[in-house]
Amino acid sequence: MKQEIVLVGLNHLTAPVSIRELITFPGNEDGATTRKFLAIKGVTEAVVISTCNRSEVLLVVEGPAHVTEEVIQLVSDIHRIPAESFSQFLYLKRGRDAVHHVFRVASSLDSMVLGEPQILGQVKEGYRRATYANATGPILNRLMHKAFFTAKRVRNETGVALAAVSVAYVAVELAKKILGDLKSACVLLIGAGEMAELAARHLVGHVANPPIVLNRTLENACVLADRLNGRADTLDTLKHYLLEADVVITSTGSCESLIRKDQVEKIMKKRRYRPLFLIDIALPRDVEPSVNELDGVYLYNIDDLQGIAAENLTERRQEAMRAEKIVEDETAKFMEWTASLSCTPTLVAIRNKLEEIRLSELARSNGKLAGLTPEQREAVEIITRSIVNKIAHYPISCLKKTKSKTKQSLYLDVAQELFALSSETDIACQENHDPEKKRQDET
Amino acid sequence: MDIIFFQAALICYLAASVGYVVFLFTSAPRAASLSSICCQIGLGLQVLSVIHRAVVYGFFPLGTYFDALSFLALLIVGLFIFLDRRLSAPVLGAVVAPMAAGLMLLGAAFSYQTRVPVAPILHSWWLPIHVVFALAGNAVFALMAVGGILYIFQEWLIKSKRIGRVHRLLPSLETLDKMNRHGLPLGFCLLTVGILSGALWANSAWGQYWGWDPKETWSLITWFTYAAMVHQRIVLGWRGKKAAWLAIVGFVLVMFTFVGASTLLGGHHSISGPGIGASRT
Repeated sequence: MKQEIVLVGLNHLTAPVSIRELITFPGNEDGATTRKFLAIKGVTEAVVISTCNRSEVLLVVEGPAHVTEEVIQLVSDIHRIPAESFSQFLYLKRGRDAVHHVFRVASSLDSMVLGEPQILGQVKEGYRRATYANATGPILNRLMHKAFFTAKRVRNETGVALAAVSVAYVAVELAKKILGDLKSACVLLIGAGEMAELAARHLVGHVANPPIVLNRTLENACVLADRLNGRADTLDTLKHYLLEADVVITSTGSCESLIRKDQVEKIMKKRRYRPLFLIDIALPRDVEPSVNELDGVYLYNIDDLQGIAAENLTERRQEAMRAEKIVEDETAKFMEWTASLSCTPTLVAIRNKLEEIRLSELARSNGKLAGLTPEQREAVEIITRSIVNKIAHYPISCLKKTKSKTKQSLYLDVAQELFALSSETDIACQENHDPEKKRQDET
Repeated sequence: MDIIFFQAALICYLAASVGYVVFLFTSAPRAASLSSICCQIGLGLQVLSVIHRAVVYGFFPLGTYFDALSFLALLIVGLFIFLDRRLSAPVLGAVVAPMAAGLMLLGAAFSYQTRVPVAPILHSWWLPIHVVFALAGNAVFALMAVGGILYIFQEWLIKSKRIGRVHRLLPSLETLDKMNRHGLPLGFCLLTVGILSGALWANSAWGQYWGWDPKETWSLITWFTYAAMVHQRIVLGWRGKKAAWLAIVGFVLVMFTFVGASTLLGGHHSISGPGIGASRT
């Protein structure tokens, strides 16, 4: 019986956030929610992928069943919201489109932030829950593993996840290129504003030492220092801390320059020219732009960082085009495999038919063979079996090797005629789970 | 036979040069890994070439310019492979591989002889000690210069805010400065031992420690330059761009001392005659 991969879902492109946050598939930690989809008639396998930007149900459907309505109803029941409220935002993909979509999602080509790395982990988690609940079978097992493989290829062969695309990450990447390992670096924040906190958040995560927060009013400094697990001090101590710091983020609302060139020049000498990375996100500027001319001092302002982030995003988009080719490639390979699945029942039927003939012929000659010793009997058994295997070998390998879909379906028809199988094909289909094929699925 | 190994090694280094340049322009990781394999095969072949020549000579094959330059290339590539493992900075190869190939071509152009009658003075155990230390020092200085070139390039990219693909390809300023920081004392010690062993050899061969031949003079100038660098770095805290420039200048001086001084200015290190040191002026 024909099996089809079906995907129903919504994402950041089709649904507003108010809908996305409603559909979260609660109670799915152990895959219990995923299992509910198996109860729908015709569904043989299921995986649920749910992140803050997408909710998708991936199913394998057997026969002519149209499961979309049942899926929508079930989603509506699970979340206790009317189907009409979200059904208009759904997309439905079948067969090749569904495979292609899953591969793109896992490779982070369908993400809100192109190339962001978390999505792969979230897809893996969805799959893990489904396997925990025994909701997957040969087709989705292979599909999900191929999706992970595609994501790995995309990550290794293209630069789609390479360059930082947010200001905070750009700052971290730059700091690494200037100071090397950031573990032992010292981060100094001047000004306790929200922007500084935003810019410092990621940076502080890479550093072992507690950051230092300086502010005109000590209370505000303390508040931010608490949040960042750092130390607080007043702005008068700036000179002292500039000697210690490796990365300085300034964000005060001061009208005059806080850090001047002549001042930094003296400090650099005292620092023995240890590199100093200054990030000025204040407007008007806190740091004199000419400070960048000093040896060992690297000054970036918020415009510089935003410019880099924007450039990197363009670069990611270009890399994404190469990634799409990889996804196409892997989709085609997967579809080839599913096509080969359709010939498996016929192959099994041919083997069964021949085995049946062998056994019946042996039984007929039973009287004549009665005088044989057990060894001789064994030999006859082996001979007949190997004759059958030899006869089956060429037709079977021919059917397996045929790549073109039209040619293959022609061959299958011919084989069914030649071996008089037509009545048995459907029965053989149920033996889909023979051990040999299972091994194939797992690779 | 040895020349076949030599040529094969040269081809490997040239292939690696092309691969690393491709890597520089495309960031394709496969280009870097293939080039790295080329370098390793080339190094193996070059070692075979040296062993073969040693068998033919019956002694350390370090007596001609060809051998010395080839051995220097070998040391540089070996050091690069070691550093690439430690720092995972394949982009260094874009300078190192052409440099090694260039040194080998230079050596081949100078003096390749299959069977050199070895001057009796070179049949001394001082030869490997003196030459290996001096060349190892040179190899370290070469890598320091490569680090210096990349440092200046990377620092220019960061200062002028050209933060793109090439910037990400290059190692961090800290890594490149570390090459200088660690290379300087190491190379300086090796050079010092090289010069001292040369002086001792001269004394045992000619009864005189120092003959002021052009190479000796220039070696001394090089030694003082690097001594000054060590001083600046340790006492004055020079680092980064200044140290990088000094490493480049130092290596130019090293190469002049190594190749230029004796070919242009003569002396007992010169390549006139069958081997180095054959003629004592």
